[in-house]
Amino acid sequence: MRTTGWLLILVCAGLLRVRAQEGGKGGATTAVLAQEQAWSDAESRNDTGALEQIFDNALVFIEDGRLATKGECLARVPLAGSHPRQIVAAATAVHFFGSAAVVVGTYHELAVKDGKASPKAWRFIDTWVNKQGRWMLVAAGASPLPK
Amino acid sequence: MEHVSAQAYTIKDPKALAAILDDGFVCVTSEGKVLSKAEVLADVRTYTALQILTESMLVHLHGDTAIVSGIFRTKGVEHGKPYTRRERFVDTWIYKNGQWVSVTTMVSFAGD
Repeated sequence: MRTTGWLLILVCAGLLRVRAQEGGKGGATTAVLAQEQAWSDAESRNDTGALEQIFDNALVFIEDGRLATKGECLARVPLAGSHPRQIVAAATAVHFFGSAAVVVGTYHELAVKDGKASPKAWRFIDTWVNKQGRWMLVAAGASPLPK
Repeated sequence: MEHVSAQAYTIKDPKALAAILDDGFVCVTSEGKVLSKAEVLADVRTYTALQILTESMLVHLHGDTAIVSGIFRTKGVEHGKPYTRRERFVDTWIYKNGQWVSVTTMVSFAGD
């Protein structure tokens, strides 16, 4: 899913409507989606401590063509609230490959800047790796959807 | 493998790509489209790229999973007009049955 600072995440109801791409992965699907939700919740609370537990130290994050490391993602969190955003994630699927899980979906963002609301839609793809029983976010990216 | 993959796209070789892409491969394009392996293989012959160069590649290993990020610089001709694109990518590779296979590619027009 998505990070970047200064955001207000209201709903991630779409995460519940998920298709697991492999049979017998229900528990793992639930665990991965719980991490996606925890990420959203931590962003909405500007909780860098929680985000630090979710992001792998080697996290690679790309949004709108820009690359950010874990440190850069965390550094943006204190700016939260200066330009509030609403994000609604939907149409999500989870794919499993060995110890990795890939979540694909869309999210719709409403950013307010200088009193102007700017809606944007994104396709995201997140890669999680199970490390010692815990799903860690190792890569995430999003491309804007055509208007 | 990234260079092999770029070469396979450049020479429009679906066989070579089929060997690199996992059957569950998922691609998110710069336009936000989701493509499966079958869709990539079906479309590869229509790709307009004449040259794909990779730069600034970084690899992070997580057990049997590798995350590769970098930049594609693509040159091609579309509708008779030459173009150059610079796109940032992040790929996920899995070590499976003794070889690395690509399971995801995410591409976004480079913003920096």
